[in-house]
Amino acid sequence: MAVTAEDIAPTIALDGARKVRGNLTQARIRWMVLALILGFGLVGGRLVQIGMVENDTSIEGQARDVITATRPPILDRNGLEMAVDIRVPSLYAEPRRIIDVEEAVRKLRTVLPNLDENWLRQRLTGDKGFVWVQRELSPAIQEQVMRLGIPGIDFITESKRFYPGLNEASHILGSTNIDNQGIAGIEKHMDSEDVALLQELGLARGNALAPVQLSIDMRIQHAMHEEAVDAMNRYKAIAAGAVMLDIHTGEVLGLVSVPDFNPNDPASALVKDSFNRITAGIYELGSTFKTITIAGAIDSGAVRLSDRFDARFGIRYGRYTIDDFHGEHRILSVPEIYKYSSNIGTIRVMQAMGKENYRAFLTRMGFDTRVPFELPEMRLPNVPKEPADISAATMSFGHGLSVSPLHMAVAMGAIANGGNYIAPTLYKRSLEEAQSEYVRVISPETSADMRYLMRLNAVQGSGSQTEKIAKGYRIGGKTGTAEKVVNGRYSSNKDFNVFASVFPMDDPKYAMVVIVDEPHAENAQTGTTAGWNAGMMSGRIVQRVAPMLGVAPNFTEVLQQLETPNL
Amino acid sequence: MIRNLNIILIFTSALMLAGVYGLKFSIEETASERTALTEHIRQQEGDLSLLQADWAVLNQPGHIDPIVKRHKDALALASVNQKQFGSFADLPMRPAAPDTQGLDELFEALDAGVDPIDAILNLEGIE
Repeated sequence: MAVTAEDIAPTIALDGARKVRGNLTQARIRWMVLALILGFGLVGGRLVQIGMVENDTSIEGQARDVITATRPPILDRNGLEMAVDIRVPSLYAEPRRIIDVEEAVRKLRTVLPNLDENWLRQRLTGDKGFVWVQRELSPAIQEQVMRLGIPGIDFITESKRFYPGLNEASHILGSTNIDNQGIAGIEKHMDSEDVALLQELGLARGNALAPVQLSIDMRIQHAMHEEAVDAMNRYKAIAAGAVMLDIHTGEVLGLVSVPDFNPNDPASALVKDSFNRITAGIYELGSTFKTITIAGAIDSGAVRLSDRFDARFGIRYGRYTIDDFHGEHRILSVPEIYKYSSNIGTIRVMQAMGKENYRAFLTRMGFDTRVPFELPEMRLPNVPKEPADISAATMSFGHGLSVSPLHMAVAMGAIANGGNYIAPTLYKRSLEEAQSEYVRVISPETSADMRYLMRLNAVQGSGSQTEKIAKGYRIGGKTGTAEKVVNGRYSSNKDFNVFASVFPMDDPKYAMVVIVDEPHAENAQTGTTAGWNAGMMSGRIVQRVAPMLGVAPNFTEVLQQLETPNL
Repeated sequence: MIRNLNIILIFTSALMLAGVYGLKFSIEETASERTALTEHIRQQEGDLSLLQADWAVLNQPGHIDPIVKRHKDALALASVNQKQFGSFADLPMRPAAPDTQGLDELFEALDAGVDPIDAILNLEGIE
C-alpha cells in the first residue's frame, strides 16, 4: 500500500491542557495591559489637558482681587462719612467667546452710544480672555446690557470711592484712581501707611475695614468752605483759603482752599490753580510775621512790651528806604508798633534781638522745614539761611521769605497756647498724646504778652472789622497785606492778604489763618487791605463756627481780663 | 459560602453606590444654594453700600444748608446771633422769701371770682 500524502490525515496536534490554559492567560494579560494602558493614558491625557488650561486670574495685568479691593471709610470727628466705598458694576468682555462681533458692537452701542464704534470693534475682536469695555456704570445700565443677552459680555462688581461731601473737603481727602489707589490727600497718605499693605495681603477684599476717623469737623469745614467761596465772589479774588487748628492738640478742624475740585471726578483736580494753597502754596505772609518777630524778641528778653522804639524816619538800606504803610512817624511802644503795623518799629524790634537770634527763632518755630503733616501736598518753605541786614529787616515784617499758611497757623497756635509747638494732624489726637509731643518754643509769659497784643490789635488795630462781625467771641489776630511779586517787582495793585487769628483770647483754643489772593474792594467804602477781606472773612467764619465749638459769647471787656502784660 | 459572601458584597456595594450618588447630588444642591446665597448677600451688600452713600450725602452739612436756606422764610430761620446767647449767670436770683402778700391777694381775688390773668388776656385781645 502506497502511502500518499493525501492519505495522511492531517495530524491533530493537541496541546496539553496546561499549555492551552497558559496561552489563554497570556492573551488575557495582553488585553488587560492594553486596557490598563488605555485607561491610564486617558487619565494622564486628561491631567495634561487640565494642566494646559491657563486659568487667567488677572485683569489686564492686575490680579482680579485688586479690582474689588476696598478702602476703609473715612469719618469726620463726629462720625459723619466723608468717604465711603460703593459697589458698582463694570462691563467687560471675553473676546474669545464672542461669536458675532458685529452684532455685539451694534447691540452694545444701543445702550452705550458714547462708545466709539471702531474702538469697540477692535476691542471685541481677537482671542483675548478679558478686556474692559466700560468701567463703573450704573445699575440701570447693567440691567439694560444684561437684557441684550450678548454671549461673552459680563459684569464684575468693583469697589468705587465716593465722597458725599463733594468739593467741600477735597483738599483734605484727595482722591483715588480707578483702581482704588489713593493718588492725593489723606487717601494717598493712608496708602503709604497700611491700606496698600492690607490690599496686597488680600485682607482688604470685600471685607469691611475699620473706619478711619479724622480730626475734621464737617460742619466747620462746610462753613469755612462756604465763606471761602463767598470771599472769592465778594472780593473778585483769584483764590481764598482758610485753616483752623485746635491749638492744644494740633488737630486740624477745617482746611479749605478754593478753587478746588470734585474728588468724585479726579480729573477735575488737574485743573490749573486748584492746588491746596494752605499746605502746598508758599507765600510772603506780610505783616502777620510781625507777631512772630515780636514774640521772638520778647522771648529773647531783649525787648519788653513797655519798650519804645524810634519810628520817626524810614530806615535806609543803600538805595532802598523802608517806610510805614500807615505812617505814624513818632516814637512807638511795642503795642503801638503791633497795632499800627509799623514796619520801621518791627525792624527796630528785630535789631534789638539781633538778626542771628531772629533767624534762629524762625528755625525754632519750624519755618525751615515742611510742616510735619499727613497731606503729601506740601512745599518746602523758602527762608534765607543767612540773611543780609536788609533781608533780615524785610523778613521781620514778612517779606523776602515764603512759608505756607499752615506754617503760620501752627506758629500762631504755639504763640497763643502758652508757648508749646505742636505739629498739626488730620487724625484725632487726645490732649495727653499732644502734650507728650509738646516742644517749648516761647515762655508762657511771652505767650501771655502776645495774647494781649493780638487782642489789642483786634479791638483797636487792623482787626477791628473782624471784631465787629465776631463781637463777643474775643478774637485776636494780625492782618497781613503783602504786595505780590509780578515780573520780579512788587506790584502795588495785586495783594496777597492774610489774617492770622486766635479765639477766644481769654482762654485761647483755636487758631485760624485766612488767605485771600488778589482781592478787590467790595464796594467804594471799603479797601483792599487784609482787614477788609481776609479779616472780615475770618470774622464771618468765627461768628458761624464758635457756637458749634462751644465757645459762648461774652461781652465783658476781655481786653482787661487778659493777664496784665509786663508793661 | 464564598458565593453568599459575594452576593452580600455586591448588594452592599450597590447600596453604597446609590448612597454616594445621593450624597453627591445633595452636596451639589447645597453648594448651588450656597452660591445663590453668597450672590444674594453680595448684591445686598452692594445695595447697602449705595444706601449708606445716599444717607451720607443726605447728612452732609453741604446738603442740608441749601435746604435750610430755601425754607428760611417759611420757617423763620436765621443763623444765631451772639446776642441770643445767655448764661446761668444772667438769670435773676430767686427772691429770698416768697411774696406772701402778693399770693394772699391773688387767692382772695380768685375766691372773689376774679382771675387776674383774664384781665391781661382781654387786654391782649386773646379769647
